[in-house]
Amino acid sequence: MRAGQTGRSLKLHSLTDRAPNTMTKHDKEWQTPGVVFQPRVYQGVQKGINTIVNAIRPTLGPIHRMVAIEKLSKVERPELLDEGAVIARRIIQLPNREEDMGAMFFRQALWKMYETVGDGTATAAVMFQVIYNEGLRCIVAGGNAMRLRQYLDEASQVILNELKDLVTHLQGKEHLARLAETICYDPSLAKMLGEIFDNIGEYGRLEIRSGRSRELERDYIEGMYWDGGLFSRAMMQDAALGKAQLENASVLISDLEIKEPQALLPVLDLAVRADFKTLLLVASSISERAISVFLTKPNCEKIQVVAVKVPAFDTITRSEALEDLALLTGGRAFLQAAGDTLNSVRVEDLGQARRAWADSSNFGIIGGKGNPRQLRQHIARLRAGLPKVEDAKDRKRLQERIGKLIGGSAILWVGDNTPLAVETRKALAERTSEAMRGAIRDGVLPGGGIALLACQPAIRNKMRSAKDADERAAYNILLKALEAPFQTILANAGFDPEKVLGQITLAGSRFGFDVVRGRVADMAQSGIYDAASVVKAAVFSAIHGATLALTIDVLVHRKDPPSAHHTT
Amino acid sequence: MTPHDTPKEDFVYQFAASQEFGGGGKAICFAAQVSGLYRSTDGGVTWHSAFTSLKLQETMPALAVAIPPNAEEAPGVFVGVNGGILRSWDNGRNWESTLLPSPPPVVSALTISPNFAQDGILFAGTLEDGVLCSSDRGRRWAAWNFGLLDLNILCLAISPAFATDETLYAGTQSGLFRSTNGGRAWREVHLPGGFEAVLSLAISPDFAKDATLFAGTENHGLRRSRDGGQTWERVGKSVFAEPVNAILLDPEYPRKPNSLVLQGSVLFASQDGGETWKLWREAKLAGKDITAVYAPTGFGPRARVLVGFADGIVQRI
Repeated sequence: MRAGQTGRSLKLHSLTDRAPNTMTKHDKEWQTPGVVFQPRVYQGVQKGINTIVNAIRPTLGPIHRMVAIEKLSKVERPELLDEGAVIARRIIQLPNREEDMGAMFFRQALWKMYETVGDGTATAAVMFQVIYNEGLRCIVAGGNAMRLRQYLDEASQVILNELKDLVTHLQGKEHLARLAETICYDPSLAKMLGEIFDNIGEYGRLEIRSGRSRELERDYIEGMYWDGGLFSRAMMQDAALGKAQLENASVLISDLEIKEPQALLPVLDLAVRADFKTLLLVASSISERAISVFLTKPNCEKIQVVAVKVPAFDTITRSEALEDLALLTGGRAFLQAAGDTLNSVRVEDLGQARRAWADSSNFGIIGGKGNPRQLRQHIARLRAGLPKVEDAKDRKRLQERIGKLIGGSAILWVGDNTPLAVETRKALAERTSEAMRGAIRDGVLPGGGIALLACQPAIRNKMRSAKDADERAAYNILLKALEAPFQTILANAGFDPEKVLGQITLAGSRFGFDVVRGRVADMAQSGIYDAASVVKAAVFSAIHGATLALTIDVLVHRKDPPSAHHTT
Repeated sequence: MTPHDTPKEDFVYQFAASQEFGGGGKAICFAAQVSGLYRSTDGGVTWHSAFTSLKLQETMPALAVAIPPNAEEAPGVFVGVNGGILRSWDNGRNWESTLLPSPPPVVSALTISPNFAQDGILFAGTLEDGVLCSSDRGRRWAAWNFGLLDLNILCLAISPAFATDETLYAGTQSGLFRSTNGGRAWREVHLPGGFEAVLSLAISPDFAKDATLFAGTENHGLRRSRDGGQTWERVGKSVFAEPVNAILLDPEYPRKPNSLVLQGSVLFASQDGGETWKLWREAKLAGKDITAVYAPTGFGPRARVLVGFADGIVQRI
């Protein structure tokens, strides 16, 4: 949903309660085209960036503050947020046009990162701010923006390499639960997600649904399942169970529309002659008359048929699901688009599975008898493609597709005291699980800003061989930026960052500060981690975003800028 | 060689024996064969059908057999058959069937927790339903196959430190999988040869320290990992070109780096950690079609070893 459509986005100036044809000075300014040069560009962009970062800053760390977003309706409660990217997304316009452009530039960078890794935007924000502000100071003092950008970008690789060396991989539900807690700060949710991810792994399928009680609950489902329920409840052997179950099922995979009962006869005849006792029939639609063929007593005695709807509404997802089903069961998909009909079905075209089931909204396969080597190669190909997918929706779809294929799914039922609290907790669970997938896949780093502090020596080493003032300035900027998340976490929790920094330096490299318990601690032993993918993404976004912003020299205003309500 | 009451066309899959087997006492041994399960009460000298109490109308092949490691504390014999698992509490005289998910699978491998007396855990590898787990001494079984992309299990190996590391491995038709949470979830272990069948596994008795694991493959011989499966090296490349059907390690491995490998139907032994290999007991076994070997106390000159052949004959060496 676009920001303006949520009804929760916020302009920082009021456009309401105004006569339709009166135009204020402010409105005129916003509708006047123009070109803006320095120093107004830097001043405006800097103010815009700082406004958003200052709104996000209080949310960093386990002991953080909240940001309240005013609702459009006076009867609604303000929305309370603690997620940097979402806070930024709620701010859709600033009063000043130059500031607004800076803010929107920054906002988009944060949102892109949030869509990619699901967390870490507050860390990126405070680093971005330091790099931009310090970089600007350097440029104003005579530094070269392009050279500064070049040195900062090059040094970002040094930091990423240092972080890579610090990465460890977590195993076991206790460690995973601790990781989850550092992301969501909800102990019971973290414990549940720790157990779930210990079982399903980074690619496993997890559905997060509104709970049936006030508690958190989870179910595990064996095998793979898809959307697409039974065409008729009469196919359920036990209506009380609400499910049809087949053993040693043959599977006809298709997206065909079956209208005439006669169209089914060749398939039924084929299956009976092959001595199959059960058939799962996947089709786009089946007429009532055709369904009645399965349900006649003589036919039921020969073969039990369960007919289900083909998965997914959109063509791409549907064809992917059919391809996966065929591979999983060793069958062939019969497609309308290819001109296939049921007359051409042969025994070897039918897939096979140890068990199959269907209820009113899903159907599943357990123990598909497709070629396991081909299946593994297929999954390996999909996994290899995952990092290359840039679009968040496509990535999620691919992630779900892999999750379906690897066998076994989990459902997390999220309960809480009120419907609003359930929705908030569900969103938190979604965000946490997304970050956990990245953490399991790419490993973890010491949390609390310690991993970034550990990169400082490498930058100091670079400083020693710096050749010019711009290069030295770049490293100085990065040294400050690497410290910023640590300082912010401590400041938000009410501790003196300088004093604590001295304590942890004395304690040794593995140590950091546990702000919850208020003491210096071994970060790994205390289970204080950050997902490596999140920290790396934060570093990358902050440095590359800020350096790009530093090179903006001119702003061009349109005559009719896009409406704020259409900005995302 | 001691003939027993099995038909001529037979095949020995696996052995199991009580702890006395190596000590020269009257150990109870079992041989899982195509023609059923056989029992010896004299350490493998004479053999008789262990399924007589079942009064079977037709032959019931036994594909796997396992005895808990500390049978004095927790007695029991478990047998994998086509369509289920049988268990006995009186050394194989009487049997009871266990509850498996329907449709019942072919049970191809069994492995028991080293801490069975306390945790009552055992695992069954099946040819179509993946790995089943029981935590109530084999009474009820449930499938836990999260992440197991191939449900055709050919062999299982459990960590000697299972009580603490909860690690076990499953060799499948398309490769190797590892679980580090007691079989609840599985992850792929990438072998250099690609997605090929893993027919046999052997895990170091000192796995908690040396993380050493051997995998016998169908087409790429014998592989060894010294880091729990992260990286692999090929062992005996010039010797092992055929399927590696069984791997045995000395019970004192790695202190005594002896290993015995059944390649095809021939046994090879190494005493130097896999650097050099030679035919094992060539004089006695030359030309024989070996299908199973059992050597719980090692395979030195004085060690007792059971060898099974493709014709169903069992020989104690």
